[in-house]
Amino acid sequence: MSMGFGGGWAGGGGGGAASNPGGGLPFSGVPSEMQAGVNRLLAGEPAHDYPDVRFTHHVSLQERRQLTLRGLLGRHWHLVVDAVVLVVVLSVASQVGPELISYAINHGMVHPDLAVVEVVAGVYLAVTALSAVTQWAMVRVTGRLAAQVMYDLRVRIFTHLQRLGLDFYTSEKGGVVMSRMTSDVENLQQLLQDGLAQLVVQGLTMVVIAVVLFLINVELAAITVLIVVPILALGSIWFQAASIRAYAKVRDGIAAVLADLSENLQGMRVVVSHNRQARNRVHHRNVLGDYREAYDRTAEINAIYGPGSQLLGYLAQAALLAFGGSMVIHGTLSIGALAAFFLYLNRFTGPIQLLAQQYTVFQQGHASIRKLRTLLELEPTVQESADAVDLPPAAGKITFEMVGFGYGPTETVLNDVNLVISPGETVAFVGPTGAGKSTAAKLVTRFYDPTSGSVLIDGHDLREVTLFSLRSQIGVVPQEPFLFAGTVRRNLTFGRPDATDNEVWEALRAVGLADVVERLPEGLDTEVHERGQSLSSGERQLLALARAFMAAPRVLVLDEATSNLDLQSETKVEAALDALLKGRTAILIAHRLSTAMRADRIVVIDDGRVVESGSHFELIETGGRYAEMFATWQADVQGKVDDPSIPLQAETVDGSSTTTAIEQCGSS
Amino acid sequence: MVALWRPILREAQVSAVGLTGDMVSFAKEMPLGEKTRLPVLGVARFSTPRRRIDPDKGKSWLRRALPIVAAHRWMFVASLSASFVGLVLQVEIPQLLGSDAIDKALVPAVAARRTRSSGLVLGHYSILLAHYVWIVVALGALAGLCGYVSRRFLLSTAYRIEFDLRYLIYEHLTEMSFSFYDRVQSGQLISRANSDIRSTQTYLTFAPAILVQCLVAVVAFTYMLSINVRLALVAMCAMPLIYFASVKMRHELFPVSWLIQARLADVATIVDENVNGVRVVKSFAAEDRQLGELARAATRLRWTYVKDADIRAAFTPLVQNLGQLGMAFVLLLGGYLVIGQELQVGTIVTFSFWIVMLQAPFQMLGMLIMLGQRASASAQRVYEILDEPPGIVDRPGAVELVDCRGEVTFESVSFSYTDGGPSVLDSFDLRLEPGDTVALVGRTGAGKTTVGRLIDRFYDVTAGVVRVDGHDVRDVTLTSLRATVGIVADEPFLFSVSIRDNIAYGRPDADFADVEAAARAAGADEFIRELSSGYDTVVGERGYTLSGGQRQRIAIARTLLVNPRILILDDSTSAIDVQVEKEIHRSLRKLMTGRTTLIIAHRLSTISLADRVVLIDGGRVVAQGTHVELLRDVPLYSEVLAQDDSSTSEVVNR
Repeated sequence: MSMGFGGGWAGGGGGGAASNPGGGLPFSGVPSEMQAGVNRLLAGEPAHDYPDVRFTHHVSLQERRQLTLRGLLGRHWHLVVDAVVLVVVLSVASQVGPELISYAINHGMVHPDLAVVEVVAGVYLAVTALSAVTQWAMVRVTGRLAAQVMYDLRVRIFTHLQRLGLDFYTSEKGGVVMSRMTSDVENLQQLLQDGLAQLVVQGLTMVVIAVVLFLINVELAAITVLIVVPILALGSIWFQAASIRAYAKVRDGIAAVLADLSENLQGMRVVVSHNRQARNRVHHRNVLGDYREAYDRTAEINAIYGPGSQLLGYLAQAALLAFGGSMVIHGTLSIGALAAFFLYLNRFTGPIQLLAQQYTVFQQGHASIRKLRTLLELEPTVQESADAVDLPPAAGKITFEMVGFGYGPTETVLNDVNLVISPGETVAFVGPTGAGKSTAAKLVTRFYDPTSGSVLIDGHDLREVTLFSLRSQIGVVPQEPFLFAGTVRRNLTFGRPDATDNEVWEALRAVGLADVVERLPEGLDTEVHERGQSLSSGERQLLALARAFMAAPRVLVLDEATSNLDLQSETKVEAALDALLKGRTAILIAHRLSTAMRADRIVVIDDGRVVESGSHFELIETGGRYAEMFATWQADVQGKVDDPSIPLQAETVDGSSTTTAIEQCGSS
Repeated sequence: MVALWRPILREAQVSAVGLTGDMVSFAKEMPLGEKTRLPVLGVARFSTPRRRIDPDKGKSWLRRALPIVAAHRWMFVASLSASFVGLVLQVEIPQLLGSDAIDKALVPAVAARRTRSSGLVLGHYSILLAHYVWIVVALGALAGLCGYVSRRFLLSTAYRIEFDLRYLIYEHLTEMSFSFYDRVQSGQLISRANSDIRSTQTYLTFAPAILVQCLVAVVAFTYMLSINVRLALVAMCAMPLIYFASVKMRHELFPVSWLIQARLADVATIVDENVNGVRVVKSFAAEDRQLGELARAATRLRWTYVKDADIRAAFTPLVQNLGQLGMAFVLLLGGYLVIGQELQVGTIVTFSFWIVMLQAPFQMLGMLIMLGQRASASAQRVYEILDEPPGIVDRPGAVELVDCRGEVTFESVSFSYTDGGPSVLDSFDLRLEPGDTVALVGRTGAGKTTVGRLIDRFYDVTAGVVRVDGHDVRDVTLTSLRATVGIVADEPFLFSVSIRDNIAYGRPDADFADVEAAARAAGADEFIRELSSGYDTVVGERGYTLSGGQRQRIAIARTLLVNPRILILDDSTSAIDVQVEKEIHRSLRKLMTGRTTLIIAHRLSTISLADRVVLIDGGRVVAQGTHVELLRDVPLYSEVLAQDDSSTSEVVNR
């Protein structure tokens, strides 16, 4: 009954959520039988001298250059030169063999001369050794070249991704961005590590062999080469095209198989309780069968191409025997030359087949480069100006001056917004969905730049200060608390990696999370993404608050940070907010009026404009939009209590929470 | 089957009299029972595997897998035979070119020219040459044909074996108990099973093919020996070295390639985090640190790639050039023998063909060893799944649950999810009369959901008995039990098929009108129609992500369509906003008449649907009664409600 799932399935690697080339499946960890080998490798891994890569928002001249294969290789030109030399040496050295055999036959055996045979055999050995050494060097050089270029590319693309604004991430699907950084980059790996070199080696080999054949005998070379090359080339083109199509079907097939399997496993309760097993088995068999048929098609293609080119090789040899043989009989060709022809021809078909394969790798690599180039040519919408200065420690005064903004050229989200938020003031933005509350807040952190007018902090236009100095003084707590894979500690110190444990605990205490973390099995070192999620959504939100608290920003933006919480967590979060907001300028974007009421001032935003501004009581007295919203909200809360199906006492339960909300608003 | 549902049918017609609006039409369109049958099978285009893995755990992994291979023996044997013939021909052709054509036709012809023999003699050699040419053509054609047959059939066998293994695993997984799924992570299970099946299949089919190639090496070696023993030994001297080098190479390379995979995954994780957490990264101005993290991961990855290159650099030249070592010796010894008139030059050509040809089997033999080691480990993991006994199956002699009235009793039931784990239910007693509507209330973790699951026999009790209509649930067939009991879970799982097919999941042959009626009753019809493709909208495609409340409504419709006699609503309206919930309740209330209904609820509004409230705590029933009674008499009840009722203010806003 007990199975080894703990060790067997859980696997090692840290890449749970990440994708890998294995058909979109998560990396399932190193299999147990390989673990020992991997550990041995890791033991031999030196301490890396990590390069000091600095991020700047400024695009360097070098990064401005268009992404090309040549440009990528150019940075490592010494390795490229080495590779080219080695490739040429290898292509020539590996084709000397048959010529040597031919020479030995003609000059050492047909005309017996043992000394010639001995020397030729010695040379043969030496040439073999030379090509082995060349090959060794070549694999090392191209491997290093590929690893270097891939490293450059990863860092360059990632840097660019970090520069791109939020607009890019909202318009582009996460999956697309991921595949640029994973499969597109990995496509180039194969090309650089092996593909390019092979392309050249095989091409050169063919040239070398063709030249040698023509040198030996023009007529015979013409007959054989001109028969073999066109037919095999055409066949290879057919094979490549057909197998690309067929393998695309196979990929679709396996994707369907895995999707069906995964869905059935995840929805097993539904499957079982609806008695669907038998039907689903039939369906799975159909999906599997389609996959098998897609694979059978590739079997057909492979079975035609492989033996087909073999057959072509035999027919060419038969032709060679017929023509060459009769030339020998008639004394116009030596036996040694014919032998060389046989051996070279045998080596001639291989490169054509390999070239066709490498060409596909080359095409895929090129397609990836094009996609990456397009990505790298995207201009970030928010850029740091060349003469930006560091924002001095801010008091926290935020000013909107005639701010207009739209996400696209035609659409207007904010229109002539004027607003001054004093240092230390807590302001709540309220208003209907889509009114522009979040947008206004995003302008404060400079996630976007206003289309007209300007946003200032302590009198500095945001566009005139460096992004780093600005954002390290402004904290944001978004609606969905995003936690990084890793420990509680790593998440808390995200804004301040050098914080001590004492400071971490202080922040946890401030938001009322200290007791929760103390109870976690590993305390601060508990992984937050573990199975069964050790933290509730309320606790995750508190963690996000504590993270913002740790960074000690001057200005804090809370973008509906409490709207997804249940009552209990909300009470805790609101208490935490009191600690967090003390002495800071804060902008609260609130759906719930109970949250808004806590602010010093409420700003009502509607249709991209500030329509009202004042304290809760002022606005109620004015009797405008806010008073209207408050009345509706109160009625809603009351309406709950009025459900006729629920008897008497229920009102106490509901009613009490209403009271609390009103009391809270009175006290703030 | 019709008889089974007749009493319910009658009741439904009676209760339909008082219905209004949507519910009337729903009740009319689908009289209870009439359309409830077991799901019809879809059209099967492919047959089930003919044989299974040998269940005898004592046997070696290969012998256990033998039946699967044997099921495709004709195709497999045909492929191997064709492969053998083709390879023998491949050995034969160089012999024809060298030892025959060159040595018997060309060398004498050259000699004849030198001795200035007559044209007649040369003509004789030309005819002999033509004769060899045609033999080469014929054998070449035959070799090509054999190559086609062997590859085609070998690959087809491989894919058939893969099909069988995948299907057997799937079939077995559908029989596994829920406790199995509680233990394993399905994502990992799939990804591992996928690669394990692959490596097992690869070995099962390619190992024999590689062995055939090695057999041909033996044939070729025999040929060589028959020509010249010394030359044969010299030619083959490097072959064992090729084998050892290639074994060593695989042994070194496999861990590196796994490490590369792991590190690629590390890089992908960092990218993934920065894409999803872009707002956090930007708002903490942490770009520099994130870039540093990526650069470090990329540096570690680069090291691994360089390591990989170094290992390949060390072995590739050996594996590819060692054969040439033999060739140099053949040249030397061969030349010596030719000069000594013991050998003819054509043989040298023949040998050099063979040496190139024989390198491959030795390289592959090395690969075979590694493949075998992997396949053995993989097969063990595949067998681990197949050997896991299905937890919950029909007892021999289990009876169909017919004419169910809907009485449910728990008789001192104890239950824990894991052997020796904490008990969730402890001497739990509960009785639901036919037609009862009971709300189950308790703290999180009190065992409410478990009660529902035990009725549908998702798990078997540790002690005590769960009865439906007086039958121990273990004594009735699972199919009939599950057709009788319907569960709607709080986080319902929807399949990525159309909404229509999702609702019709338990009754795939249902009319569209029935599907619509069920959707209306569950308050789902309206929002479904607003989707651009309506009922044909595929769940989860092109951003059609449904909200929690919408998913719950579809799940309710799905269960209503099956029309179960016993209905379990496990917090199944928790994400639906209060206004819509009210509407659903209105229809549910009608639908629940005549059915036994168990409601697991947190909200007061949901609890109000029930005639009776059962409060459970610590795995036992602590109080029963009406909502008012419990509120008045049991302090724990108000406490539990206060703790759980989070619906007070925010749901309205959603």
